[in-house]
Amino acid sequence: MSRAGPGPEERHSHSPGTDGGAGAGCAEAVVDAARPAGRVLAALAGFREPVVWILLAIAFFTAISGKPVDGVLMLLVAVGLAWDAGRRALRHSDGADADDAAGSVAWPARLRSGRRRGILVGALLAGGAVYAGVVGSFSRYSWPVTGCVIGLGTVVVLIGWHGPVRARPPGGRLPVAGTLAWIAVLVAGCLWELGSLLQQPSLTTDSYSHPTISTLTDPVLATSPGRAVVLLAWLALGWYLVER
Amino acid sequence: MTSHDVTIAGYLVVLAGIVLLQVLATRTRAPIPSLGDLLTRAMRSRTGRVGVLVAWAWIGLHFFAR
Repeated sequence: MSRAGPGPEERHSHSPGTDGGAGAGCAEAVVDAARPAGRVLAALAGFREPVVWILLAIAFFTAISGKPVDGVLMLLVAVGLAWDAGRRALRHSDGADADDAAGSVAWPARLRSGRRRGILVGALLAGGAVYAGVVGSFSRYSWPVTGCVIGLGTVVVLIGWHGPVRARPPGGRLPVAGTLAWIAVLVAGCLWELGSLLQQPSLTTDSYSHPTISTLTDPVLATSPGRAVVLLAWLALGWYLVER
Repeated sequence: MTSHDVTIAGYLVVLAGIVLLQVLATRTRAPIPSLGDLLTRAMRSRTGRVGVLVAWAWIGLHFFAR
């Protein structure tokens, strides 16, 4: 992988938006990093990112639900993101997104087109199938499957941390009403799941009356082929997201 | 209707909402972004990109890992 040259993202990066990156940019604009107090404030600027608080909430609820490993990992990423945003604030860069552009890891042209691209895709498909088959053969919640999932998840998150894998068109603003409709539906889904979780006898005991999505998927994930199919779907989703 | 049925119905309503919005976004001229557009927009910043990818990783951890 190589560094990308100036692309659409850089052009976009200097236009403030409505996302977390822009939020960090605002934080940077009001912090004078030359003063000690300013440095402290800048270091804390990362906590202005909504994503950081969402990850902290996930870490908390995951940990008290009997999944301490998940909770610790989410906590590490949340603190890492906050620290990263604070570090960028200290550097007084143009904005959070400017770092994104600098860190872009767009695929080299030779990998993006033609036969090499086909070979790469074929290798990834074969690797994904092997991964799903092997990891799906392990028992759920065992250390081997835990290691494999953490390993792949770490690689994918690190790739995303360094930047998009391909240059993307800048795109325009999303329709506000339509975006709010999506947010409403997705938040409703999260709250419904949370409501079911809180109505269980305890956070670690399943309930037939108020099943969570995890409880509903247990029958599928109880078998090795079921786990392999779900892992394939998870890998496909990850690939789709990495390509965004 | 039991509590179990109501809970399942709630999930189905949310799922139907997701499908409806996606169909409206891709098959009509309604001013609704597709889920892909929404994700692309969310992933334009570093924090958004990492946040979405961590959410993906968390799904794998939640369903398979200790």
